Amino acid sequence: MANTKDVINGEEVTLEVKPGTNILELNKQLAEKNKQLLTKHNVKAIDIMGSIGAGKTSLIEQLVQKLKPKYKIAVLKGDLTTTIDAERVGRHGVQVLTINTGRECHLDANVVARAFERINLDEIDLLIIENVGNLICPAEFPLGTEKRVVVVSVTEGPYMILKHPFTFMNADVMVINKKDLAPIMKIDPKQLEGQVKEIKPDVKVAITNALTGDGVEELIKAMEL
Amino acid sequence: MHELAMATQIVENVLEEAKRHDAKKVAEVHLTIGKMSFLGVDQIKFSYGILVKDTILEDSKLIVEEKDGKIECNNCGYKGTIEIKDDPAYHIPVPTLQCPKCGQTAKIVEGKECTITSIRILKQEDKNGCKQC
Ligand SMILES: Nc1nc2c(ncn2[C@@H]2O[C@H](COP(=O)(O)OP(=O)(O)OP(=O)(O)O)[C@@H](O)[C@H]2O)c(=O)[nH]1
Ligand SMILES: [Mg+2]
Ligand SMILES: [Zn+2]
Repeated sequence: MANTKDVINGEEVTLEVKPGTNILELNKQLAEKNKQLLTKHNVKAIDIMGSIGAGKTSLIEQLVQKLKPKYKIAVLKGDLTTTIDAERVGRHGVQVLTINTGRECHLDANVVARAFERINLDEIDLLIIENVGNLICPAEFPLGTEKRVVVVSVTEGPYMILKHPFTFMNADVMVINKKDLAPIMKIDPKQLEGQVKEIKPDVKVAITNALTGDGVEELIKAMEL
Repeated sequence: MHELAMATQIVENVLEEAKRHDAKKVAEVHLTIGKMSFLGVDQIKFSYGILVKDTILEDSKLIVEEKDGKIECNNCGYKGTIEIKDDPAYHIPVPTLQCPKCGQTAKIVEGKECTITSIRILKQEDKNGCKQC
């Protein structure tokens, strides 16, 4: 906070202040707090990101069914305005909380921290968070989860990974969903897998069909659950 | 996409800082934005221009400096600018976290910031500051 002062004239003074505030760091610090809180309560948390309609909710439905015997699960759902996804997941008998994000394009660590006030963290051991459908913005805002998963589907074309490399740099696991549609789209999921590994060699990849559950076991393994 | 939200936080932070120093007006705001953040400089400037209306930041200049991405490898200790690969199938240049020395996954250490580095404020000289004269 070194200040330099210089007098322009008798009345006005200009002053240079160096706040050094990193706006993005503020979110990171909150995310770190969330992480500590989750660890303290022995809750594993997963942030599921991905473009609109990639199959995030369908995959969460699959995950909930397969993981219910092993974990006490709660699902946090960032939704712009509706509760459609929350109802879909709630049918499987787990606690679902909606965070209304209004027009916001992503969840951030602060809204998640506030949602924690509505969950009894001692009663759950797995928290699945569905982020807002958007391939770009959520990647910039870690929430404090142990794992970050990015879902893409083959219907988004062959270039979405190459076009959004920074999104995948922030992912621990990538899901290539809608594998049943790959032949129709003339896309080889293995080629998408190769692309993401070029960007981030240690990323884990699962190729899934969220309607049938095909590949979901691999996803669970990739998330180390 | 979230430039408006970011710009809002920038303006709030600057206003707070200005208030702390009894500013009459803010003349310049210097910002450093990492090239590995998802923030577009033009969008930030556009949002900023709208948000400062009717505040002491109105008419202030927003000066943005962009910063390159840097990676560091935990495996071999390599530190340097982020590598660009040429995708073999499409010949599109893509940035990669792969360490150029050992091939392991490196981590980003610079280039993800959005920092208010300095601001220049105008303040009314404190005439009551000196009790002697
Ligand atoms: N063919 C096929 N369709 C799928 C698959 N997974 C999801 N879908 C369909 O894709 C549509 C979108 O799926 P959702 O699970 O709602 O996707 P989402 O990512 O949660 O969407 P938003 O929350 O709106 O961003 C639905 O009609 C699903 O039935 C899949 O593996 N194969
Ligand atoms: Mg959904
Ligand atoms: Zn290395």
